[in-house]
Parts: sequence; structure tokens; C-alpha cells
Amino acid sequence: MEYSIEGNPDYGQLTVQLTEGEKFFAEGGAMAWMSNEVELKGRMLGGFFKALWRKMVAGESLFVSEYQHPSGGSVTLTPSVPGTVLQRTLNDESFILTAGSFMACTPGIKLKTRFGGWKAFFSREGAFVIECSGTGELFYNSFGAVLEKDVDGSLTVDNGHVVAWEPGLDYKIKKMGSLKTTLFSGEGLVMEFSGSGKIYLQTRTLNGLSKWLTPFSTP
Amino acid sequence: MEIQILGAGAFSSALVKLKPGEQLVSEAGAFFRGSSNVDIDVSTYAKSKKSGGLSAGLKRALAQESFFLSKYTCNDANDGEVGLAPKMQGEIAVIDCDGSSGWLCTGGSYLASTSGLEIDTQFQGLKGFLTGESLSFISVTGQGQLLVNAFGHINQIEVDGALTVDTGHVVAFQDTLDYKLGKAASSWLHSFLTSERVVLKFKGTGKIYLQGYNPDEFGHSLGPLLPYRK
Repeated sequence: MEYSIEGNPDYGQLTVQLTEGEKFFAEGGAMAWMSNEVELKGRMLGGFFKALWRKMVAGESLFVSEYQHPSGGSVTLTPSVPGTVLQRTLNDESFILTAGSFMACTPGIKLKTRFGGWKAFFSREGAFVIECSGTGELFYNSFGAVLEKDVDGSLTVDNGHVVAWEPGLDYKIKKMGSLKTTLFSGEGLVMEFSGSGKIYLQTRTLNGLSKWLTPFSTP
Repeated sequence: MEIQILGAGAFSSALVKLKPGEQLVSEAGAFFRGSSNVDIDVSTYAKSKKSGGLSAGLKRALAQESFFLSKYTCNDANDGEVGLAPKMQGEIAVIDCDGSSGWLCTGGSYLASTSGLEIDTQFQGLKGFLTGESLSFISVTGQGQLLVNAFGHINQIEVDGALTVDTGHVVAFQDTLDYKLGKAASSWLHSFLTSERVVLKFKGTGKIYLQGYNPDEFGHSLGPLLPYRK
């Protein structure tokens, strides 16, 4: 499957060239334009209960889109928020994404949702994470530009700023300082990563943008 | 008239140099800077009687374009300068309309046009409303240059055959292309399950400008995080 990514870092877009019979999966609603006669179906990845769990825990759609073309065609996908589209080749390994970051993958990759923990659930950020494993191409996105960082030891990251990380890293969810700090600094919860691996961070969050816009909304 | 695109990328703007006697039209509110010898006339301006007047302004408003257009002219013998910026972040493209075909442009994408182009709205019709999509296009005919703005990266595609496009991604296209609404998938069920729903199917030969990002989708992502409107 051939693909190309354009428009990074602000407006990443992914174009996939499908050959006859090839198929791939993408999050629902991501299609921007495509050749005619592309076959599009809704599929529950991981079976009904896993899909239902994803829906209940993070409001993600029960379904992913499956794309196929009888004679070859192309599909262009974009995320709903402006940012960077990233690609990773998995060779019988795994990679962890935060909930909204998943964009598309080839069929050899299995998606498993993992609960982020009750603390994360109540903070409405990082309520669940997606563990992608197998062999194939994985595409994911960030809000705004992305920073890649090598962690060897530990790193503390504000919840909404994590996009993805390699499996060599483990994390714990912690409050930043005291309750007073949490309330007044707006920092809320943080993820404390430890171990060794790469982590992908975004410098802006949608929540941050909405907090900035809120005072302007007219009563 | 010279048109320059500044800040290419996420935050493009257009700088237009006007010669005395030349006219530029833009959506009202797009002006952000200009030389002091430029007059701005805000009205339901249009080139011919057909596209001026109250009802035409209303049609434009329904096409999600501002009710008013601004007309720029120089008021002395010197060249003037007009800087235009769209509301949304993204790129600007200058489309050379050579008269061999007309162009259709979505309401939010129209930024400006030179005076040789006539602007009119064209209703998609009831079908557009029933699907919840507002699909009025502004039709641009004549010869001149059309400035369009996009949410994100602009893609220029030569269609020769057919292309399926998610409606929020259309910026402008030649009217040599036929278009109709259709379901994204082969059945309504799958169109709904994949959240793709309704798409525009283009057929024929012509150029189409598409924007990478869909403002509605961004709005739907950001909107729920904002407080309720009272």
C-alpha cells in the first residue's frame, strides 16, 4: 500500500493508494476525498464488546471505516483538528496511542483499548489509550505540531499533551502538587513516565484552546 | 493588478496592488490594511443588475457569505494597495479564470475577485437542506482572478472521470464538472456507521480545489468544549 503525507506540521493529510483487493482501516469521519467506487464499510474492530467499551469509556465511535477498491483507487484522509499526521511501521511490535490520536492502519495491526485508570477517567483526558500491535503501517495525528523525545529515566507530562509512546515506557497518573495547585494552576493531572523509549508530545491542546475561547462566547 | 500571497502556509494573506481605474471586490471584513488612497465601498455590490440588490444579498447570506461585499478603487492617480485576510487559518489560492468555463465556489471560501468576474449565487436546492448540509455555491463567470481561502492546505486536483468528496472539503471547481449528492458508502447503514454520511460525487473533466480540513468537523470537536450558549 502506497501512501503520502502532505501539509505537515500544520495541516497534515494522508493519501493512501489502494491496489486491487487491498484494504485498510481509518477512524470514522476522516475521509476528505477519494476515487469513485471505493468501497466503504463500517466495522467494529476487536469485536462488539471491545468496540462498545471504547464507545462507553471515551465516546469514540463504535465503528472504524474499512476502505477497499475493486480495481485500485486512492483515499485522502485528514483529522478533524489541524495538526501533524505521523506514520510508524510496526514489525511485530506495539505502540501506544492516546484516544483521539488514532487515524488509520493496515489490517495487520490490531487495536486494543486499555483503560487509562480511574484518575484519568475522571479528568476526561487520557481516559483510555489504544495499544496497537502487529505488523503494518500505523497513522496517527496530533493537535498542532509534535515533538519527539527520547526518555531514559523519567519524564512528567501534562495529560492532554501526550500523543503516543513506545512500549518501553510505563506511566502512572498523578496529581500535580496539592489540590490547590491542581485547581489554580490548571495543570490537573500529569502522567509520570518511566523506562526507556520515545514519547511523542503536542504543545497545544484542544482543551487549552477552548478555555481561551470560553470568555468570548456570548451569553 | 498584481496579487501576491504572503505568509504562505497556515496564515496566508493576499496583498493586491491596484492601478487607478481598476476595481477589486472582496467579502466585507476581509480588509486588514491598505494604502490611504484606496476607497472602500461596502454594498451588495455586483457587476450587473442580476447579482445586485437585496434579494441577491440575501442569497449570498444564505450561501454563508457575508451579506455585503467591499469594492476597492484608487481615489487618485497613484497605485494603491489592499491587504486581505480570511477568517479561517489556512492557505489562499489565486484562480485564473480565463473565461473558458465558469467556476463555482463555496460561500466560506470566497475571498476576493477582480472586476471582470461576475458573482452570483446558485442554490443547491432543497436536497441540500434535507441532508443537513448547506450547499449553496457562489458562481463566478467572466475573466479575471478569483481569490479563494481554505481551512488548511489547498489541494489542486485535475478531475478526469470522477471524484468523491466529503462536502466540507470543497473550495472551488470548474462548472464543467457535474456534481450530485450521494451516499459515502454503498448503503445508508454503512454511510452512517462510518460517520461519512453524505458526499459530493463529481463527474467529468475539470479542475477542483479542495481544502484538507473541514471547518465543520473542527467546530464539532471544539464546540462541545465551550460553555452553552444561553
